[in-house]
Amino acid sequence: MLYCISTGEQILLSDNAASLAVQAFLQMCNLPIKVVCRANAEYMSPSGKVPFIHVGNQVVSELGPIVQFVKAKGHSLSDGLDEVQKAEMKAYMELVNNMLLTAELYLQWCDEATVGEITHARYGSPYPWPLNHILAYQKQWEIKRKMKAIGWGKKTLDQVLEDVDQCCQALSQRLGTQPYFFNKQPTELDALVFGHLYTILTTQLTNDELSEKVKNYSNLLAFCRRIEQHYFEDRGKDRLS
Amino acid sequence: MLLGGPPRRSPRSGTSPKGPQSSTGHVHFGKSPQTWPRRTRPRSPGLAAPSGVRGSTQPKRRDFPRRAWLTALSRYGARLWMGRRPSLPEARGPAPRSAAASRASRSLASPETSPSPLPATTRGAVAGGGSVQGRAGAQKEVFPGQGAGKMAAPMELFCWSGGWGLPSVDLDSLAVLTYARFTGAPLKVHKISNPWRSPSGTLPALRTSHGEVISVPHKIITHLRKEKYNADYDLSARQGADTLAFMSLLEEKLLPVLVHTFWIDTKNYVEVTRKWYAEAMPFPLNFFLPGRMQRQYMERLQLLSGEHRPEDEEELEKELYREARECLTLLSQSLGTQKFFFGDAPASLDAFVFSYLALLLQAKLPNGKLQAHLRGLHNLCAYCTHILSLYFPWDGAEVPPPRHTPAGPETEEEPYGRRNQILSVLAGLAAMVGYALLSGIVSIQRATPARAPSTRALGMAEEDEEE
Repeated sequence: MLYCISTGEQILLSDNAASLAVQAFLQMCNLPIKVVCRANAEYMSPSGKVPFIHVGNQVVSELGPIVQFVKAKGHSLSDGLDEVQKAEMKAYMELVNNMLLTAELYLQWCDEATVGEITHARYGSPYPWPLNHILAYQKQWEIKRKMKAIGWGKKTLDQVLEDVDQCCQALSQRLGTQPYFFNKQPTELDALVFGHLYTILTTQLTNDELSEKVKNYSNLLAFCRRIEQHYFEDRGKDRLS
Repeated sequence: MLLGGPPRRSPRSGTSPKGPQSSTGHVHFGKSPQTWPRRTRPRSPGLAAPSGVRGSTQPKRRDFPRRAWLTALSRYGARLWMGRRPSLPEARGPAPRSAAASRASRSLASPETSPSPLPATTRGAVAGGGSVQGRAGAQKEVFPGQGAGKMAAPMELFCWSGGWGLPSVDLDSLAVLTYARFTGAPLKVHKISNPWRSPSGTLPALRTSHGEVISVPHKIITHLRKEKYNADYDLSARQGADTLAFMSLLEEKLLPVLVHTFWIDTKNYVEVTRKWYAEAMPFPLNFFLPGRMQRQYMERLQLLSGEHRPEDEEELEKELYREARECLTLLSQSLGTQKFFFGDAPASLDAFVFSYLALLLQAKLPNGKLQAHLRGLHNLCAYCTHILSLYFPWDGAEVPPPRHTPAGPETEEEPYGRRNQILSVLAGLAAMVGYALLSGIVSIQRATPARAPSTRALGMAEEDEEE
């Protein structure tokens, strides 16, 4: 069972991306999952991050541990890779986490326009009046501190977009003309990239520059579409909003 | 003299069998660009001699201060000269590429022939060119006579000074320094231990030729790239993408653990890190700055790794270390048997990886689980020592042979100690005199001395009477 924050009203860009990545990964492993949406999924999770899966009596959150957990159960997508490729895969996953995820967080929480219009409203939507503001501000403060700690605090939006662009360029070059990042078989890197890119492309924000940056790279677009068709169409999920 | 340096190297190739380490005669000139604060000399309290140091038995070491001064000047000059290589716009394309190839071959050759540092005093010039020569050697035919127009206001880099056998003990400073060495950027390096002395208040900091100050390491490297000192020029697009990816990997996996090992792990912190910083920093700062730095790092680490409950801290630590070990193994696998990550010429990724690994390898940590793991990865160790010996031959030899070791701390202590002695004696004297005056034991007044020594009083009375 996959828990994530309820889509539509509450979910935010970064969380959506993560959830989608995990879903994609599990689909790629051909594991049946049931997605459950809860408003307080963030608090239910053991590490405070969504999404998390609940299997039997174990709860595992975040893509990394989930991948390992699934591997321990015998399903793995990256067995066919040799050592060097595995190193590259890990490196690229970190790149995505480092750049794309942080950029998403930045956009959501540190960019005033987005924060005011979208994030606050969405984040606090299931809660009654004072609580929604308080929680939103608290989360914002926390994210801002984190940004400062990693040095993104002083970045302007343009710099962030430039970083995203660089990241996409790197991904695009790595992908080249192959169907997946490591040729024929999808791996967790593909799931992660798909999750992020898809949500960036399909989420409505105050400014569309982020998705514009991604759209510049046609092979990434084709990549997303391919995965979507392959793994999600048959299920007819409408969660991929 | 400087330009004549390179050609003169060859005849002397036979003189030193020791290769790059022979430039240890100029061990200290690596630091001489700094000004009077001698205390910023690297602490080399007999910590493990890094592999970069081998038998630095140069008798010349004795007169190193004088030579250091000479070599400092000449090294600066050598850098100027070196720096002209990349600054040629039209030669930018072909030159760096041929440079890269010849650089590699030169640098290979230099250990064998590296004569430069050796004997004569004026060789100091070439020493500075020492490994730099390795890179520049090929270019000498390209532009021996180029004008130094660009060198009007050279860039200055302020960074932490060296220790533990490394040119710098701080991660960021080391990375920037290494990158500068790789590209031969003409930087005036100030190795200081007082972050308040740097133009931006933190180290490393780069003061560009236009006067602006940059302190974020990535931005420093970007600036150097803009000034055409680009080590990544030869990389393919895919390799550039790989660079980004691996740097993120390093930052996410290795950096927290490195910070933890050096600053948070109590034993390491007290015995190694704090000790070094406290000894390196000038008087009032060494009491509170290391502690402040530690707090900053701790906060950063906590924020990075998210909230965790106290009882999970052990778990978290184990997790962190496990990931770091995995990361190291991955790096080792990526490196394989190559010399540098992308073939034969170093790139910016190499600078970063080297700085992480070198710190981990060289510092003598009492609690070195990660260090042990790293030592087991032989190709990474070889990689580090290779870079150290190639690009930092004199700095790498900072941890001097035992003969010098006792002298080292002593000479460092001396100016410090002597100054303190003088100060304390003066203070004592002042206190005594002041007390004496105030309490009237000794008085300089001629009028009614309260308890003046009788003889004197008599004497004065007699004088008065006589007059």
